[in-house]
Amino acid sequence: MPAVQDTVERVKEIDVDQYKYGFVTEIESVTAPKGLNEDIVRFISAKKDEPQWLLDWRLEAFKRWLTMQEPEWANVHYPKIDFQDLYYYSAPKSTEGPKSLDEVDPELLETYKKLGIPLREQEVLAGVQGAPKVAVDAVFDSVSVVTTFKEELAKAGVIFCSISEAVKNHPELVKKYLGSVVPSTDNFYATLNSAVFSDGSFVYVPEGVHCPMELSTYFRINAEQTGQFERTLIIADKGAYVSYLEGCTAPMRDENQLHAAVVELVALEDAEIKYSTVQNWYPGDKNGKGGIFNFVTKRGDCRGDRSKISWTQVETGSAITWKYPSCILRGDGSRGEFYSIAISNGYQQIDSGTKMIHLGKNTSSRIISKGIAAGHSNNTYRGLVSAHRRAANARNFTVCDSLLIGDKCGAHTVPYIEAKNASATFEHEATTSKISDDQLFYCLSRGLSEEEAVALIVNGFVRDVLQHLPMEFMAETQKLISISLEGSVG
Amino acid sequence: MDLSVQQFRTKAEQEFLDLYTKAEKTLPGSKNPFVADLRKNAIATYARLGLPHRRIEAWKYTDLRAHLEDVYPLATPHRGTIGTNELEAALGKAIVAFSAYRLVIVEGELREDLSDMSALKDAGAEITSLAQALETPPAWLKETLSKAGPREDDAVFALNTALMTGGVTLRLPKGLTLDKPIHLIHLDGTGDPASMVTRNVIVAEEGTSATILESYGSLGMKELQRNAVTEIEIGDKAAIHHIKFQREAVETTHLGIWLATIGADARYDAFQVSTGALLSRNQIYVGFDGEGSSTEISGACLMRGRQHCDTTLIVEHRVPACVSRELFKVVLDDHARGIFQGKVIVAPDAQKTDGKQMVNALLLSETAEFDSKPELEIFADDVVCGHGATSGQMNEDLLFYLESRGLPEAEARAMLIQAFVGEAFECIDNETLREAFSGVSADWLGVSLE
Repeated sequence: MPAVQDTVERVKEIDVDQYKYGFVTEIESVTAPKGLNEDIVRFISAKKDEPQWLLDWRLEAFKRWLTMQEPEWANVHYPKIDFQDLYYYSAPKSTEGPKSLDEVDPELLETYKKLGIPLREQEVLAGVQGAPKVAVDAVFDSVSVVTTFKEELAKAGVIFCSISEAVKNHPELVKKYLGSVVPSTDNFYATLNSAVFSDGSFVYVPEGVHCPMELSTYFRINAEQTGQFERTLIIADKGAYVSYLEGCTAPMRDENQLHAAVVELVALEDAEIKYSTVQNWYPGDKNGKGGIFNFVTKRGDCRGDRSKISWTQVETGSAITWKYPSCILRGDGSRGEFYSIAISNGYQQIDSGTKMIHLGKNTSSRIISKGIAAGHSNNTYRGLVSAHRRAANARNFTVCDSLLIGDKCGAHTVPYIEAKNASATFEHEATTSKISDDQLFYCLSRGLSEEEAVALIVNGFVRDVLQHLPMEFMAETQKLISISLEGSVG
Repeated sequence: MDLSVQQFRTKAEQEFLDLYTKAEKTLPGSKNPFVADLRKNAIATYARLGLPHRRIEAWKYTDLRAHLEDVYPLATPHRGTIGTNELEAALGKAIVAFSAYRLVIVEGELREDLSDMSALKDAGAEITSLAQALETPPAWLKETLSKAGPREDDAVFALNTALMTGGVTLRLPKGLTLDKPIHLIHLDGTGDPASMVTRNVIVAEEGTSATILESYGSLGMKELQRNAVTEIEIGDKAAIHHIKFQREAVETTHLGIWLATIGADARYDAFQVSTGALLSRNQIYVGFDGEGSSTEISGACLMRGRQHCDTTLIVEHRVPACVSRELFKVVLDDHARGIFQGKVIVAPDAQKTDGKQMVNALLLSETAEFDSKPELEIFADDVVCGHGATSGQMNEDLLFYLESRGLPEAEARAMLIQAFVGEAFECIDNETLREAFSGVSADWLGVSLE
């Protein structure tokens, strides 16, 4: 069954030429010289006033990177990236020196205001009575501009700051955990990131603390010909809980810009981390020109027993997306979850999915992925579920559905399922979410039109993913909620 | 800095090339320019590709380059008598008792003395040994052999084309309905370790209907390397059941390829059972060339010890309104490893496609391993496609129930395994064959059905 009209229209609303965040902020920047060599790595490190151990770590990664080759296995096609034709560091001039909100360039505040991200705490508070508070770390090109609600979080013992600050103020934590989930030798882009990462967020939630508010980072690429390489590190100590949101946008440009981030999550015993992303980088124009190359490595390590990590993502942006938020289920009884909606339009290409690596006993994981391809786009789900010898009683349940709108796009499913343990129970299903005739008949008999009935049933169906998104993101994803998956294919 | 690894040839890779150079002049059809060219191109393709290894996505779980250390010389004809006892020892009683037009291929050579050639000819089929057909290939054979398909990028297929010595060519003329199934029996000899390269070419013309069973067994030669390709063309409105049973000695390397193309309003049902060989890889390529056709591809593999069984299938929906169904059952004991890779490709114009694949694995020991990759590649928007994959151990509740009814544990287990693979056997239309295969799984389990 082809997609229903309602779906087609709603997908059109977020088509590539409807991109709303494509404006440019005119601001004076400090950039590193173009290109990449050892001096650039030293330059970035010096700019951030980093200790020797971190510089050494970067240089080692850089040396390693020189020997690596770009991966080509993903189902995406793009011209070769010239790594010497990029700026690896760009910062608004005014952000040098101490950062208090009053000193931040008003241009920047205006930018975030336009993006709908309030950075002044009083503005947040002046909002609707009873609205949940969200602490924001705003990253602009290569640096963190401001982090809100720091004091309030500090009272609870939560550390939330930019990673450069964390290196200065909490070196023992950074040293202990940086690169422990995604080693600097992990893959081509992660190694590049390790060498040149500029900023990103750092979160530490101490033992037994339930983080009092949602934390969020808002990434913005602004400068031309710049690559953004941010690094996020989140640690939830024993019994801690944290929910973290991430949003991203970029201006419209004819060139392709590279975004190669690394996100590391560490959950110790009984801890829980909830990580949500709304990825809305500039997807390129309707002829496929420009757009962000989003090549990121995201991985969570359920290090302690009974820990839990859940990834939720809504992917609508980027010319090319290449990411697999993964969970290493090391602790006994740990749990990993992955909920994803990926929508591709225009000439976008998405190759995304997850890896659930079961190492500990009684570990469980769940994957729910919905892909929608329209226009000339290609949307691939690629996932790995593996149970190792010692992962007794591992369980996985996977559902991945996709939907095509039009006959110029493609939807692909590439699941890898590897069971090295007999007691592991794996179920993979890619159902054709054909609505049951009984359900439809029931709704029609209650006086609903067919379109309405389909929308109603599908709403309940997509909820699987959406209910895992924090409230704050509901507004951004509202448009997606009623996208029906009627006629979808596994 | 360019650090790409210079591709070097392994010993086995080189030996295949040597095998060809040595045999080039004596291979069947070497005097025919068409066949000579075909072989020359194929060996060039192989030389370019080398043996497939784990860095090649389609061979990720079966590293043939690492597995093959030596290449055995091409098989030489076996002249010994082969009676019912030998056949039963090689294939089991049930399969031998099965009434069919029997074609026996020993060490690649079609043994007319053991085959029902004349009866099959009387029934209306055109049958020739491959070796004979290659000397002066008829036009239809040339056409089939020179089709594209996986020939360009499959090293195993290329090797087969370069070195094929045995097998049969079979043509079912328009409208022929065979009263009995055809049973192609492939046996090795009892001599020294050898390579056996066979090709069967079957053309089922418009409106034909037949059941073709291929069985592979061992007479005694343990270290056998088999490369067996069957090409089958199904004409419009034809209905073909194609079944394979592989029970070779445990040291065997078995590389099998089925290549099927289906015309309009036709039906092709394929079924494969494997219990033998140390390493086996069964590749099935099915392509729809005409609208309104359907295929059901199913099978079971029962493995133990250190056996490795890989089933890789690609179904290509090139035209609208075709239906494909896949169901595979995998039972693994000891250190056995099972692999299932399925890929359904739906071309941009292939609207109204209906494709489903399902694979279920049952792991009987802690050390068995099952890897699967059920892929979908879809370019049309009005289709229904789905896939499923499960893996797990025996359901303890079911076992407990049976034991509570007084069944000893071993028997209860066997019964549950029978039921598990039995679902796939349901896909066999021919009742006698279905029962024969139930016998095969019982045989594997070491229980009697009574």
